[in-house]
Amino acid sequence: MARVTFRNVWKKYGEFAAVKDLNIDCPDGSFLSILGPSGCGKSSTMRMVAGLEHISAGDILFDDRRINDLAPKDRDVAMVFENYALYPHKSVFENMANPLKLRGQEGARIKDRVTQAAKLLEIGHLLERRPQELSGGQKQRVAIGRAIVREPKLFLFDEPIAHLDAKLRAHMRGEIKHMQRTLGTTMVYVTHDQLEAMSMADQIAVMHEGELQQLGSPREVYNKPVNAWVAGFVGEPAMNFLTCEITNAGGKLMLTHPDFALALKPEQMKCLNGAGTAATVRMGVRPDALAISMTRPAEPAITGKVFVNELLGGDMIVEVELADARIRVKTAPEFAGAPGEACYVTVNRDKWHAFDAVTGKAFF
Amino acid sequence: MASRDVVRYETPLTRGFRWFSAVFIALYLVWTLLPIFVMFVSSFKDLLEAFKIPAVGDWSGIGVFFDFTPTLKHYRDLFLNLDFSRYMANSLVAAGGSAVISVILGSMAAYSLSRIDFKGKSDLFFWIISTRMAPVVAVMVPLYAIFRSLDLVGTLPGLILAYTTFNLPFAIWILKGFFDNVPYAIEEAQMVDGATRFQAFMAILPLVAPGIGAFIVLCILFAWNDFLFAAIIGSGGAKTLPVATRELVQPQNIQWGSIMAAGVVTTLPMMLLGLVIRRYLVTGLTMGAVKE
Ligand SMILES: Nc1ncnc2c1ncn2[C@@H]1O[C@H](COP(=O)(O)OP(=O)(O)OP(=O)(O)O)[C@@H](O)[C@H]1O
Ligand SMILES: [Mg+2]
Repeated sequence: MARVTFRNVWKKYGEFAAVKDLNIDCPDGSFLSILGPSGCGKSSTMRMVAGLEHISAGDILFDDRRINDLAPKDRDVAMVFENYALYPHKSVFENMANPLKLRGQEGARIKDRVTQAAKLLEIGHLLERRPQELSGGQKQRVAIGRAIVREPKLFLFDEPIAHLDAKLRAHMRGEIKHMQRTLGTTMVYVTHDQLEAMSMADQIAVMHEGELQQLGSPREVYNKPVNAWVAGFVGEPAMNFLTCEITNAGGKLMLTHPDFALALKPEQMKCLNGAGTAATVRMGVRPDALAISMTRPAEPAITGKVFVNELLGGDMIVEVELADARIRVKTAPEFAGAPGEACYVTVNRDKWHAFDAVTGKAFF
Repeated sequence: MASRDVVRYETPLTRGFRWFSAVFIALYLVWTLLPIFVMFVSSFKDLLEAFKIPAVGDWSGIGVFFDFTPTLKHYRDLFLNLDFSRYMANSLVAAGGSAVISVILGSMAAYSLSRIDFKGKSDLFFWIISTRMAPVVAVMVPLYAIFRSLDLVGTLPGLILAYTTFNLPFAIWILKGFFDNVPYAIEEAQMVDGATRFQAFMAILPLVAPGIGAFIVLCILFAWNDFLFAAIIGSGGAKTLPVATRELVQPQNIQWGSIMAAGVVTTLPMMLLGLVIRRYLVTGLTMGAVKE
C-alpha cells in the first residue's frame, strides 16, 4: 500500500520525449487509470514506476520516498506486462508461483495462493500447461495471475485485458475492480479503452503525445473536459464538434451556425469571460445531449438529413448530415427515419461545451 | 498458436524426391559407417584375422569379415600395459574443464554483449572473434613460449587454458545469438517479480540451453580430437588420447590392434555425449511467451 507521486517526470528516448513533465498524485489505496491513444507514453510511464526504464528527469515517490534509484525488486510492485512476458519454459503454475518463490514463501502457501488466483481468473484447468499452449486471452489471464498472487505495495497493470473477448472483459473489469477494493492496494492501470478507465478508476489521467491533458474523476473527465482533445477522446460514441460563431443580438449572446442558432445561458456567457462577440468557437455536444425528430419541434432546431442509422441494441445512433458536417445523435431504437429523409435535431441547452477554436481550451 | 504438425501434399515430384533421398541416405550411411564398423570389428580381432580380406569383387567372401574369435586382448593391452586410463582421464579433464570454463565465462560475456549497450561494443565484439582468425599453427610458437615461461607446458591446467583461449570466442559468438533471441521482457518480469539481475540471467539460461548444448559439443569435440595443442602444450605430463594413439605407431612396429581399440575408446565417449546432449538441442522454447 503506497501513495504514488509523479513530480515533473520526463522520459526521453534520445531526443524524443515520450513523457513530458508529468505531475500526478495517486493517493494510497486508490485506482488511477492512465488513458490515452497508442503511443502517448502510457507504457513508458508505467515502466518508470516499475524501475524498468530510467527516469530522465523528475522524481517518482512512493509515500514521499524517492524511488528513482531503487532496483525493481526493491520497489515491491507487481506488474502485468502489455506483452504478457510469461516464462516460456515454465508451466502456468510455475509462472504464477515465481514471484512467491523469489520472495522465499513456503510451498504450501504458494500452492494455496496460486490455486486461489487461478480460480478467480478461471484458469484452474490450465495450471499444467506451458504458455505456448495457451490462447492470447489465457496468457493474459496468467499474466494477471502472476501479479495478484502477491500482496505488493502497488499494482501496475498495462492493458491487462485488451485481448479478452467482450464478455470476459466485462467480467474481468468487475473482478479487478473488486480485487483492488478488497485488498486496498494502490493501482495504476494503463488502458487505451476509455470505457475501462471510466468504469474502474477513481482518477483518470488522460495523456496525449506524452503530455498529461487532464487529471480527474471519471465524472469530471466526462462532463468537464478541459479541452477539445479530451472531450473528443472520452465518450463513446464520440462528441460532435461544430465550428460556430458567437454573435451579439441586442445584448444576448447567440451561438450561430449556418444551420441553427442557440441562445447562451447567462452562466455560459460568464464562462466565455469576454471572448466577446464574433469570435469563432468550436461547439462540442455529445450524441446523448441531442434529440432527433422527424417533425419540426417548437424550439429552434438544426435541420439535416438522415445519413445512416446504427442500431446498438437498446439505443440507436443516427448520423445526420448537415450542410458542412455530420453529427451523431443517440436516440431510442424506435426511431423510424429512413436515410435521406429530412430530420430535426435539438440541443440540450445545458449539456454542450464551447472550446477555443485555436487552442482547443474549454470555455465551459 | 500454430501447431507444429506439417501439412503434406503428395505430388509426383515429392514422391520422386523421397525415393532419391532414401537412396542417397543409404549410400551415405555406408560411406560413413563402414570405416567405423571396420575399426570396431578389427579391435576385437587377432592381428592375423584382421588382415584376412576377401578379393575385390568377391562378394561371397564377405563372411571372412565375421569369421574370427573375439578377443579383448587389445583392450587389456591398452589399459593394463599402456596406461590408457590415465590418458583418457587427461582427455576428459582437458575437454570437460575447458568446456565448463568456456560456458560459464562465455554465457556471462554473451549476456552482457546482448543486453547492455556501451561504447565500442561492436568493436569489442569483432575483436573477440578476430582472435580466432589466425590459424592455430601460426600462434603455436609464441603460445608455447608464453606457456613455457609460465611453467604451464605439460600440465593439465595449461592444456585447459589453451583450449579455453580458443573456445571462448566461439562460446561468446554462438551464445550471443541465442541470448538475442530471448525477449528482454522475460528478464524484466523476473526483476519485477523480485529477482536480482543475476537471478534473472540464471532464469533465462534454460532458454538458451540449445545454444549451450551445441557449444558444449563443439567445445568438447575440439578439445577431445585436438592433436596439435595436446602434442605441444600437453606433451609429457598431460598426454591425451590422440597423442597416445599416435605413439602406437612406432617405426618398426605399427600396433594395429591397439590402434583400432584406441580408436574405439576415443570415439565411444563422443557418441555417448551426442546421445545425452541431443535432447537439449530442441529449439523453439521461447515461442509464445511474449506477444510480438
Ligand atoms: N525504447 C524506445 N526507444 C525509443 N522510443 C521509444 C521506446 N519505447 C517507446 N518509444 C516511443 O515512445 C512513445 C511512447 O511509447 P509507449 O510505449 O509509452 O506508448 P503507449 O502509450 O504505451 O502506447 P500503446 O498503447 O501502443 O502501448 C512512442 O512514440 C514510442 O515510439
Ligand atoms: Mg503501451
